[in-house]
Amino acid sequence: MMKFSRRLVLAVSTALTLSLGASLPALSADEIVIAGSLPLTGMFGFAGVGVEAGIQDYVKMINEEGGIAGRQLRFVYEDTAYKVDASVAAFNKLNSQEEIHFYYGDSTGFAKTINPELNRMGSILMAGTSYASELNDPATYPFQFMAGPDYTEMTGILLEYIAKEKPGAKIVLVNSDTEFGRDPIAGTKARAQELGLEIVEEIITPPTAVDVSTEVLKLRRARPDYAIFHGYLLAPIPEFMSQAKQLGLDTKFMGTFWSMDPGSWAKVGDVANGYMGVMPYRYADDEADDAPMLDRIRQMRPDYRSTPYMQGFLTAMLFSEAAKRTLEAGKELNGENLKAALNTIKDFDTGGIIGKPITISGNSIPVGRIYTYNAATQKMDPASDWISLQE
Amino acid sequence: MSDLLFFTEVTLAGLGAGALLSLTALAFVLIYKATRVINLAVGEIVMLGAYLFFAFAAGLGLPAWVAIVLSIAGGGLVGAILERGLIRPMLGENPISVFMVTIGIGSVVVGLVELLWGTEPRALPAFLGNQPIFLGEAYVSRKIAIAFLVSAVVIAGFVLLFRFWRGGVALRATASDQAAAYSCGINVPGVFSVAWIIGCATAAGAGILLGSIGGISPAMGVFGLSALVVVIVGGLDSIAGALIGGLLIGVFEAWAGTYLGGEYKIVTTFGILIAMLMIRPYGLFGTTEIERL
Amino acid sequence: MLIGTAKHSYRADEALLTTSPQRLWMAILLIALALAPLALDNYWLYLACLVSINVASATGLNILTGFTGLVSIGQAAFMAVGAYTVAVLEARTGLPFLVNLVVGGAVAACVGLVVGLPSLRVKGLYLAIATIAASFILHFVFVNWQSVTNGNSGINVTPASLFGVELTDYVHLYYVFVPITALMVLGAANLFRTRIGRAFIAIRDRDISAEVLGISLLRYKLLSFAVSSFYAGVAGGMWAYFFRVVTPESFPFIYSIFFLAAIIVGGMGTILGGVVGAVFMTLVPELLRFAVEWLTTIFPNAVTALSPIRTIVFGALIIGFLIAEPKGLAEIIQRIRRFFHLWPFRK
Repeated sequence: MMKFSRRLVLAVSTALTLSLGASLPALSADEIVIAGSLPLTGMFGFAGVGVEAGIQDYVKMINEEGGIAGRQLRFVYEDTAYKVDASVAAFNKLNSQEEIHFYYGDSTGFAKTINPELNRMGSILMAGTSYASELNDPATYPFQFMAGPDYTEMTGILLEYIAKEKPGAKIVLVNSDTEFGRDPIAGTKARAQELGLEIVEEIITPPTAVDVSTEVLKLRRARPDYAIFHGYLLAPIPEFMSQAKQLGLDTKFMGTFWSMDPGSWAKVGDVANGYMGVMPYRYADDEADDAPMLDRIRQMRPDYRSTPYMQGFLTAMLFSEAAKRTLEAGKELNGENLKAALNTIKDFDTGGIIGKPITISGNSIPVGRIYTYNAATQKMDPASDWISLQE
Repeated sequence: MSDLLFFTEVTLAGLGAGALLSLTALAFVLIYKATRVINLAVGEIVMLGAYLFFAFAAGLGLPAWVAIVLSIAGGGLVGAILERGLIRPMLGENPISVFMVTIGIGSVVVGLVELLWGTEPRALPAFLGNQPIFLGEAYVSRKIAIAFLVSAVVIAGFVLLFRFWRGGVALRATASDQAAAYSCGINVPGVFSVAWIIGCATAAGAGILLGSIGGISPAMGVFGLSALVVVIVGGLDSIAGALIGGLLIGVFEAWAGTYLGGEYKIVTTFGILIAMLMIRPYGLFGTTEIERL
Repeated sequence: MLIGTAKHSYRADEALLTTSPQRLWMAILLIALALAPLALDNYWLYLACLVSINVASATGLNILTGFTGLVSIGQAAFMAVGAYTVAVLEARTGLPFLVNLVVGGAVAACVGLVVGLPSLRVKGLYLAIATIAASFILHFVFVNWQSVTNGNSGINVTPASLFGVELTDYVHLYYVFVPITALMVLGAANLFRTRIGRAFIAIRDRDISAEVLGISLLRYKLLSFAVSSFYAGVAGGMWAYFFRVVTPESFPFIYSIFFLAAIIVGGMGTILGGVVGAVFMTLVPELLRFAVEWLTTIFPNAVTALSPIRTIVFGALIIGFLIAEPKGLAEIIQRIRRFFHLWPFRK
């Protein structure tokens, strides 16, 4: 019996070695490598899938145009199921196989965990799904950035809009009891005070909350003009909206980037009508004149409309731009040079992905626009012009 | 609006949420009563029930009532398979081992649901209507009111069954003394199967209600943990305990969430649990186990 | 073939390694552990460090659950206590990191004592549920005790340093973690050669009988909780130096179940079991990653199936071992050992 086992062990180990060997792609000094920990599965799966498609498409586009200074882009990634330890494992695995220039991270936890390692290595520029306010600090996070406004800046843009529409409005903040959810609370309160807006109630929902009846009662007691939700992908916002409607409240419901996907809202139905929120990018079906890049996207993905796609696409564009500027200056591709090149981006035209030329002076791009969901067309309609917090 | 009215509304909402907890707790109690197994996979069966409803109602486009019947039956079938295939071989083992097997089952169910339906949260097709309900002046969310009514009917039904139905009496007999039940000619393994089938079917039904309120996702099984607290507080083998424990926890959670803040909900629940374990370890209505050497 | 072992003293009978093949294998293992970093790349070193942390914590849980019979589903929460202690000490005191680890363990042990209190009144499933409750309450403390834990965003940990070297490379961490874990495992093995260890086992086998024999349940049950939490605390401290950021979400409830699963799969109530189980359960998800990668050559979409497959395999391993091999991997290893003992006389 043991003989058989030993043979088996031998066979298995040979197979393993072979498959290991096979999975190591040939290294090429000419390539520029974008690696990523993507949450393709898990509660954040919809983001990972969209981001993957976005980066993939941009890479394909650039490579078809001949790459960056003749060097081809390559995108490698692993699924992490939105778990920090899996994400760190993926980072280490990819790093031991490739010479990586750019990394796409999947969560705030990962961005914070891997930051000391990034600083130590100094060879990688990283962006990701996280817009955590804490990451918007070039001193602590020198080799990271986010392709949009941080969460506090997102609510800041909402407040800016509210202050213009209805000065002195009453606002309720609804946040989930997670790191993600609590991120902008302090900043939002401070900003609201500056703008003369009144925060009349703060509601925290436990992450496992199913029933929100008691929270809706609190909302009704406060009778706000606006309720700003943050820390949710979708649920429980629809339940809040439907109960508020039953109660005859005329509160306007608002959210931030990760709850702005019209595809998700389409499944909710009529209740979703009138939901508003801040969006840093144009939607793929926007046929604005100054958006040639959106035409390209529609050619590549005729019926794909997810918001993470736009985020991934723009992130890849900024990665490429940083690489291009670094190579043009004749410098080596490392974290410091790439970040410096990224920070030289001034009044940059994104091809219409963002409706305004962008300038990246730190770790974020504090620009966004307010959209309103229209249940009849299942689309997000612009409700404001582009708002920038840089001026 | 007066504070008293607000308090009444919050309490009503808590009672509604508590009724859902009671219903899920009932699944724990039914299985524990007959087989002395704490089935930690109840939360995952709840989730599975909601997904089955989703598949039948949204996927196949069946009418809501057909989908409800089919998902409850599906839950029962899963219960039967689990009992026959995985729990029966563990008969007579250390209760902790069986408990761990159910944790394993929970993990497998989550994985299978993720494979079949993906991991993103979804909404169930609306079938409960959305006309608001007012009790006097107090507002009650319609879904919560329906959940309350359904739970009340189901629990009342079970109480009657245990009192008058032959199978229910057999189940009670098995619960009080397995060996004696055997010698009276009761088919004890049959009772085990029935308990699992009914328990899992109840859980699946609770899942449909839960999913229609808060949407569905593979992670919704954590609701089972709150229900577990309910059964510990109420007593593991007491149906009345499940009912009263559920309502109690629901109301306390609602009060804590309203007057202290949402982050205090979970800690209140588990605080009650610890206090209960220290004061009355076998719950409000549970049978005290006496150990002899 | 090994015919028999004649022992002339109790000392020899109690020795940890009783036969020369055992000593030889242990020597080979130690040498292999010492030389492994030469052969491993960064990814495998990362996994080796993670394995080492998990082995330390699983061994602790094994003392409590496998040897004393008190089931705990709160091991990750105790790790979190250790990790937070280390993070706070590192940020505010600048004590040497070995001291921090020990203090982290000690604080976790104190918390363990408190959490162990219900064990005097309830046992079995009720106790397991009390530990679940404790871990959720601890999570609440981590989120809301802002002034110490920095709430949801957690604490960043500066790297440990030893003899002036900053421990940032996985190689360095490996050479620190593995000896610490080895010492902890050795300590656990030795514990069961003492009165305390035997008292634990007596309590597991029948606590009322043990009490009749004069073993103070109060003392030994709480002691077991304290020792186990100490192990978890030190492991959590290593975790903090390893990942260098500690947040309330770093130690999810599922991580506690992971440790329970590890000792079930490895074999409860044997030191070897805790070690093997932790190694096995840490590496299986990573090996599945390679399996799925290989599958992508056939099914391009297999990548998205990785996480569900991991969840299913995790559950299936628990079920499979409990039904088919309740004594775990340690028993399988023993069987292989017996085979070589008797070879070639028994098939």
